[in-house]
Amino acid sequence: MNKIESMLLELKDTSEFMIDLAYSSLLYNNSEIAEEVEFLERKMDDLSADIQEAIVNLGMQQPQEIAKFSVILRLQMAIEDIANAAASIADVVLRGLGDHPVIQMSIQESEVTIEKALIAPNSILKDKSLGELRLGSHCGMYVIAIKRDDMFIYNPGRDEVLREGDVLIANGPDDAADFFIGLADGSEKEL
Amino acid sequence: MSEDDYVDLDRIDMTVQELLTEMKDISEVIVDLAYASLMYNSREMAMRVNELEDEMEELKYAMRVKALMAARTREDAKQLSGILQIASAADRISHAAGEIVELLDVAPEKRPFITNLINESDEKIRMIRISPSSDMAGNTIGKLGVEANTGMKIIALKNRYGWTYDPDDNVKLRAGDDIIVSGTEDGGNRLSEFASGRIPWEFDEERSGEDE
Repeated sequence: MNKIESMLLELKDTSEFMIDLAYSSLLYNNSEIAEEVEFLERKMDDLSADIQEAIVNLGMQQPQEIAKFSVILRLQMAIEDIANAAASIADVVLRGLGDHPVIQMSIQESEVTIEKALIAPNSILKDKSLGELRLGSHCGMYVIAIKRDDMFIYNPGRDEVLREGDVLIANGPDDAADFFIGLADGSEKEL
Repeated sequence: MSEDDYVDLDRIDMTVQELLTEMKDISEVIVDLAYASLMYNSREMAMRVNELEDEMEELKYAMRVKALMAARTREDAKQLSGILQIASAADRISHAAGEIVELLDVAPEKRPFITNLINESDEKIRMIRISPSSDMAGNTIGKLGVEANTGMKIIALKNRYGWTYDPDDNVKLRAGDDIIVSGTEDGGNRLSEFASGRIPWEFDEERSGEDE
């Protein structure tokens, strides 16, 4: 994979993560999460500019490949649009317009739900890494952020070890939510 | 309905909350579908993306009308403006998905990196066939709780009747059906094991009870 392709990959992955994060900022009317979306949005702007510049340079060197390069640019613009839309969702929270019960309820009613769960002292998730637990493929819930000691860890990696008192924010199908909460509060003993 | 009545009356009867839920759901599935259409070079999937894009547009107009009708005070107007902003953003996501499927018009050899890009993404898309020896055959998506058990979302299903996109929970999977799923690599591998019949499906007692 060349440099442009890996930049495009980062752009795509970040845009998808931003949507998840933006909807969670709405659900909890949480401006810290919304600010992270804005931060990512600025990162996306820089990355988009880098991709465009690289494409222009490459296009001058290899004019015969111009059709392929235009596809990359079109894809980059569509992905940037998605990121902008996510930032616009987070903006609702930052402007103080997110405090309406209809917003929270409509996210809870959605096919993809977002749940918050506190790791209890007797939870089987405690002291295990996300890579080891594989929560996504075993209970359908993907951890998008962890709140630990008043700090957020966004898009935690496989090596992140969960601690007692951590608050996990995860998204997944509504029929997975109860089991996920049970795992965190210690009532479910097997993953 | 008169010709200049652009807004679907059914949707006008939906509540603001129902409209917003629907728009959020579409905004999530439509992007997956758009990438899958490029990956499998599928016009049919692209058409479904365009249909969802149109549906989103209708929902957005219905939402505007509902919001304007509901605003009585300055405070109402302030809160509803936030909801309208979310609705517009969801609509923008659907248009971005529409832009993505337009790339299908470019010859596949001019976009070889797209399949690679999707394969390398955090969220992967793959096609899996249900084997006759799999426990999944003969059960509904809801009873299996496919996403809850594997983290993989079924974005399309091909059976003897043709394709179904974003299939409902009450759709039954049968031997020989192909499903297009999105999720992590690990989840995809696990689902393949279930679908091939190599490992038995872990039925959830509560879920099978709730299904009927």
